[in-house]
Amino acid sequence: MRAGGTLLMRPLQPEIWRMAELLIQQMLNWITLGCIYALLAIGFSLIFGILNVIHFSHGDVAMTAPFICLALATFFGATSPYWLVLALVLAILAVGLLGVVLDRVVIRQFRDAPAMMALVATVALGIVIREAIRHLYPEGSNPHAFPRLVSGVAFEVAGVPVNWFSVLVTVLTVALIGLLFVFLRMTPLGLRIRAASEDRVVARMMGIRDGRVFRATFFIASAIGAVAGLLFASYAGVTRFDFGIMAGLLGFSAAVIGGLGSMPGAILGGLIIAGIEVLAQTFVPDGASYRLVFVFLLVIAVLIFRPAGLLGRPVMEKV
Amino acid sequence: MERPMPSGAPSVATASLFVVASQLAGAVFLYLVLKAEGGWQVIGLLALLGAGFFLLEKKPRIADLAMASMARVPLLAVAMAAVVVLAFPFAVGSNTYMLHLLIVAQLYAVLALALNFQLGSANIPNFATGASYGIGAYVSALLAINFGVSFWLTLPVAALAATLFGFLIGIPSMRTRDTYLALVTIAFGVVVQQLLNNFDFTGGPNGLVGIPAPSLFGHSFADPLVIFGHKLPSQANFYYLAAALVAVAIVTARRLHGSRIGLAWNALRADEIAARAQGINVAWYKVLAFAVDAFLAAFAGTIYAFYVSYISPDNFTFLVSVTIMTMVIVGGMDNIFGVIVGAFLLTILPEKLRAFSDYRLLFFGIVIIGFLMIRPQGLFPQRMRDYGSHS
Amino acid sequence: MSALLDVKGVTMRFGGLVAVNDVGFSLAKGEVLAVIGPNGAGKSTLFNVITGVYRPTAGKVSFDGADITGKPAYEVVERGIARTFQSSRLFSDLSVLDNVIIGMHTRTKTGVLDALFRPGASKREMAACVEKAEALLKAGSGDLHAQRYRPAGTLAQADRRRLEIARALASEPKLLLLDEPSVGMDEVETDALVADIKRLRSKNPDLSVILIEHDMRVVEAFPTHVMCIDYGSRIAEGNFETVRADPRVQEAYLGKAAAHA
Repeated sequence: MRAGGTLLMRPLQPEIWRMAELLIQQMLNWITLGCIYALLAIGFSLIFGILNVIHFSHGDVAMTAPFICLALATFFGATSPYWLVLALVLAILAVGLLGVVLDRVVIRQFRDAPAMMALVATVALGIVIREAIRHLYPEGSNPHAFPRLVSGVAFEVAGVPVNWFSVLVTVLTVALIGLLFVFLRMTPLGLRIRAASEDRVVARMMGIRDGRVFRATFFIASAIGAVAGLLFASYAGVTRFDFGIMAGLLGFSAAVIGGLGSMPGAILGGLIIAGIEVLAQTFVPDGASYRLVFVFLLVIAVLIFRPAGLLGRPVMEKV
Repeated sequence: MERPMPSGAPSVATASLFVVASQLAGAVFLYLVLKAEGGWQVIGLLALLGAGFFLLEKKPRIADLAMASMARVPLLAVAMAAVVVLAFPFAVGSNTYMLHLLIVAQLYAVLALALNFQLGSANIPNFATGASYGIGAYVSALLAINFGVSFWLTLPVAALAATLFGFLIGIPSMRTRDTYLALVTIAFGVVVQQLLNNFDFTGGPNGLVGIPAPSLFGHSFADPLVIFGHKLPSQANFYYLAAALVAVAIVTARRLHGSRIGLAWNALRADEIAARAQGINVAWYKVLAFAVDAFLAAFAGTIYAFYVSYISPDNFTFLVSVTIMTMVIVGGMDNIFGVIVGAFLLTILPEKLRAFSDYRLLFFGIVIIGFLMIRPQGLFPQRMRDYGSHS
Repeated sequence: MSALLDVKGVTMRFGGLVAVNDVGFSLAKGEVLAVIGPNGAGKSTLFNVITGVYRPTAGKVSFDGADITGKPAYEVVERGIARTFQSSRLFSDLSVLDNVIIGMHTRTKTGVLDALFRPGASKREMAACVEKAEALLKAGSGDLHAQRYRPAGTLAQADRRRLEIARALASEPKLLLLDEPSVGMDEVETDALVADIKRLRSKNPDLSVILIEHDMRVVEAFPTHVMCIDYGSRIAEGNFETVRADPRVQEAYLGKAAAHA
């Protein structure tokens, strides 16, 4: 026993190293996925902020981006990376516009309707978007390969290689959140969006009901969603017409457990959801197939104890 | 909604005539829709339906007359409905596809009536009716397959299990509302569906196969049904079973709607704080709505499981819950008749659009959005309770 | 004489804002108390504390010999306190009749199983409710009874106030809290309202009433105890003349008036 113990000491060390490597690897996964969810959640939160409506099809809108990008890339036909960048940028802009159009045609009609109506309407809108991709896009019901936007190893942390892709996702997310922060606080339009979301009644009295606030909000939310959609497809290496359901549910959950209308809440929510997913996959036997169970049990638990989300302000109804 | 009640009630003769004629017309229309093949016939019938609703909208007196007639000769109305429902399979004959559609439509009618307690009466979102439906189906199927429990015994057990689940989802509803509550129900729905998909004892994604057909007084539901020497296909057994369940659901809905419980639900739908100030324990009534919904949904699930004899998690997804919600909204919230019409319409119509089968879901989504935008109160808007005292 | 309602040292804080500050008073059976004070003085908050909408930060509310501090609103109603709201909160998509019947919720008892398996009993209960509700609708001024099948949301302002009172009375309260019942009424309607309340009290001498009012004619019409609240604190109490003459009361009102001018 003692002899065995001393003998075991040696192989144990690499064991610990392997654990550490796994841990770092999973943390990288977590940050990458967390960033993508946070970007999705921000869109939900922004739109909820000004409309008080959950845009349930936001995930589907976001997941149109990889398809648009692929279509554009095929159209350009060129293999040069500049063409791909152009396709990406155009896809993001197109999805931003799609958001604006959907708001104009459908979502805005439900601004003053009961919350339930808007919820069901946007769920239906999600179905329409998914089915449209499925039938209008060539081979739409099949998965389509989507390239890693960048490949290769950027650097190593304690021997664990960090991919350029993870770096890209993180940098992009931080940059977008920074830009959004500056926009919402420094520009007149951004300030009006914030005013409209802080207090709808006051904002309405002050005449902030104009279309520009809605257009800008939907454009920004959808474009950020498009970035998330592109990154998600790139992360998965593939895109499917029905990715939007899960992207939507997870982004929505992140926004809600963070507290709807709260930007920091959306980011926190994204990281938490991604965290529980990665934890489940790493530490629970067969966790990959149970990951959604864990995610949604967490959602339920958070809402039982914090009915307005972690960073949301509880609404006190005036009597 | 703002119409005053009609002053004079129709005479018994007028009322009887109206009740019989309208029910026959409805049955014939349903038969024609079921029978219709090809795009043009379906479009023609849809146009007819549209014209009917247009007429109802323009002449609200017709709806008032219908209600008054039903109230005038209630026994005749019920008897006539029973005759129509009982006789329908004879008209359908050996067309098993039509019977199948009718069975599914009836089960959805029960689910929609179940959800109506929440969505319609109390305006509580619930995206987990599909999960309650699934729990009912799985509990009864597991009992039957593993322990050989008879269908009739699994019914109450499954309902009880689903009701417990209903209470469980209801608990967060005491504290969360609207969007947040919607997410809680979505979360419960996904968790149940994922668990069914992952557990070994539920057969994982393959589901459960070989659920034995129920039997009653020695007559197996897998055998053709012979009535007065008339042979009906085996589906007729389930048709009548589902019809009985619809009747139970209607009676449940009517009794609750007409009692102080229905009023309490309506009160908390209109204004929660005012409801509390009338002494209504809002939290309890919300939980109750979840429980009643789950209870009825489980019955539908049990019958479904024994009817198709094969269930898988795919039958109980989030989309199923959305479909049920849509039926309630399209039919008319808090209107029992409307909800049933919504369920039939949205079950049968997509099937009839097989010509465009690929685009069915697309069409479905557009119909929902269109309805919510153009007619948010549904085909048959909620009606004021009538206490029959027009002195 | 033991008090029906006893409020002791009630304080209600919302974050940094003190809406009600150490207010206490008591009310005997059959008594009328008028609470006056400028807008935002904390009168409605006081009602909300008494009826269990809010749990007070400090203090105690006893009713009919029992401590009801922080008890849920539905329980408070059951014990016999009914209220109206300043901004009438009717169930606007339900009929006038249904609104009143819902007011009887604590006095009826059909449960789910009764409703399902004893439909006869449930129906009889409802029929009794309808009869009672119709009587209540006939009792007040206005013609609510003729409008009983109209959705409450379509009523005229004065009728909405009357319906709220009828709904509150439906719970057979021992104490009725009226939050500015005369808001939105013209002079004729206000006089009718005063007559309604007087008739109610003569029929029901044991009914206690707390009235939040701005219209001094209404306050004056009752042999009342008057309490004036400003900035959450009680600044004067006594009979109408004393309170009206109190310099602090005049300042509270005049100060507001000056600010508005």
